[in-house]
Amino acid sequence: MKRRGSSLARAARIVQLGAGLTGSYLAHQLQRPFLSDEKREARRQSLHNRNAKQVRRELQHLRGPIMKVGQALSMQTHLLGAEWIEELSGLQMQAPPMHPTLMRAQFKSAFAKYPEEMFSSFEEEPFAAASLGQVHWAVTKSGDEVAVKIQYPAIREAIESDFSLLRTAAIGPRITGHLPDSVIRETERGILEETDYRREATNLEHFRKQLAPLEFIHVPRVYRELSCEQVLTMSRVRGARLQEFLKSNPSQELRDRLGAALTRLFFFQLFRVRALHADPHPGNYLLNNDGTIGLVDFGCVKYLKPEVVRCYAQFWSREWVHDAALFAGIIHVIFGPKTSPDEPRVRRCMNEIRRFYDEFHPLTDKPVILELGDSRFMDGLSELAKTLFKNRFLSPEFLFLSRTESGMCLLLHSLKARVATTQIARQWMPAISKTKKDNCG
Amino acid sequence: MSKDTKRSGRRRPSGKREQNKERTKERILAAALELFNKQGLEATTKQISRKAGIAEGTLFNYFKTKEDLALFFFQKETHDLIEWFESQSRLRKAPLAEKLFAIIHRQLEYIAPYEDFIGAVFFRALQPRSKLSPLSLDSHELRVKYLRFIRDVLREAEEKKEIPMIGELGAYCVGLFYMGMVLHWLHDPSRGKQKTLALLDRSLNLASRVLKKGAWDW
Repeated sequence: MKRRGSSLARAARIVQLGAGLTGSYLAHQLQRPFLSDEKREARRQSLHNRNAKQVRRELQHLRGPIMKVGQALSMQTHLLGAEWIEELSGLQMQAPPMHPTLMRAQFKSAFAKYPEEMFSSFEEEPFAAASLGQVHWAVTKSGDEVAVKIQYPAIREAIESDFSLLRTAAIGPRITGHLPDSVIRETERGILEETDYRREATNLEHFRKQLAPLEFIHVPRVYRELSCEQVLTMSRVRGARLQEFLKSNPSQELRDRLGAALTRLFFFQLFRVRALHADPHPGNYLLNNDGTIGLVDFGCVKYLKPEVVRCYAQFWSREWVHDAALFAGIIHVIFGPKTSPDEPRVRRCMNEIRRFYDEFHPLTDKPVILELGDSRFMDGLSELAKTLFKNRFLSPEFLFLSRTESGMCLLLHSLKARVATTQIARQWMPAISKTKKDNCG
Repeated sequence: MSKDTKRSGRRRPSGKREQNKERTKERILAAALELFNKQGLEATTKQISRKAGIAEGTLFNYFKTKEDLALFFFQKETHDLIEWFESQSRLRKAPLAEKLFAIIHRQLEYIAPYEDFIGAVFFRALQPRSKLSPLSLDSHELRVKYLRFIRDVLREAEEKKEIPMIGELGAYCVGLFYMGMVLHWLHDPSRGKQKTLALLDRSLNLASRVLKKGAWDW
């Protein structure tokens, strides 16, 4: 099995990767004025494909924390094209392995005790890998079955050094504005937050309480006395990961029920909890045959500002199409005061997003059931992602919101579910009164 | 593991007189470690003997210098290490990188309560005239015992074709690597010395990968 190299080798790889990427981005930027529209598009497409493959290959060699970056990027569907997502999603659920001796040493350094002193039984072989660590089954002294997540040692320091390297390596895309510093910063913040499991414990408790009204969602319980910064003990939640679940050939009825449950989960989180489980990769949803879903891994959670939620609702309602003031308000919340709503690229991107929403959440009063397994739907999403990327339509405030939303889209698509999305969204959508638009921004 | 290591690893003093002598030595060491930990190697023999409850003259019968005391500490450490490793049945089947990780980690755990003392000894050992110096004949026996133990562990991996034949040089490399790890460990400010854990794991993995790929061809 291939494992992580030395930090020097990692640095060399990242630099190499960055140099490759930077070179091709710069070349693309330089050639741009001389290419026709069509050729430009074709050139960009092949460049993207090549870059995506290269990044995935390099990241797979590195494993470690930088893989988390790849994993995070794989969910930025609004940021990256479909070709990137496809390549990067190959990185999900793989992780740097810890042998039992290292795992025990790490556990001891966190608790000053060995696992067997704190649990009545503890499986030394991990059952799942998380990219910052690995998960072991155990039984507490009171007899509860639990999952214990243990972090690889000194991961925080490694992430910090990886990001400083990434900044240097990605200087090209940074200059051209394809990867703005604010986006790198937001991604780093999100990933560093994930390294503190106490924070995750707080998130778990918050979501467990807030999501209680959705009886079909199971959130694990935290065992605080058996958790710390680098070890997290949670009750065991049952269910199969998407790929295993699909192998069992579930009925259409069950797919539809799960699809509706996922859609409900998204809008309930957005409008009622005002916080999102923002790591929507398929491994975090454990699907059951009774239509319930176990939701795990609350390392990446985004608490949303009220104006962001309001702005999303305003955007969703699509009234801004005919209302210039509302439109300006939305752009102000998304980009801050620096971006003018009169810029043509802004209008172009907003219209592109609207087109996608018109298909995904059609504005009609009668319930419309969408066939989300349709490839047309995924093509629409990747077209949208491309347009937004090309026009540098990126907002740190909406990064995690769009990541979660596109993650949900991917899940619904893979499930081939039929869902009345509009009807579900309206269930919790806050009323958009005309007076509120003035508060927006 | 070869027979001679097993024998030396488990050798116990026989006879009541010998046992009493050993117990006194351990009592002196415990007292000395406590003082060394507080004051470094500057703690006086007077303080040590008072703490151990013996006459200062008696102390000299057992240990001529403070360095002899430190050497006794490392003898016990090596003895403990070998005995412990032989009792680990699961580890015997583990890959070499994990075995070496376990060995070095065990050593670091053993010295962990005496960090300040180890720090002082480390720099004392750099002086060529010190009994603790890698060049000194006084510490030679201890060093040979450790190197033989490591060589046996490596030999096992060689026999299993886990790594190519690297011979005795491998044991010397591990010994040097351990010294480097101790130095890193002494200066590691991270909580629970986690940076040392990560460095230890990463470098051992890298080394075993290099060896497996045959880049180390003799």
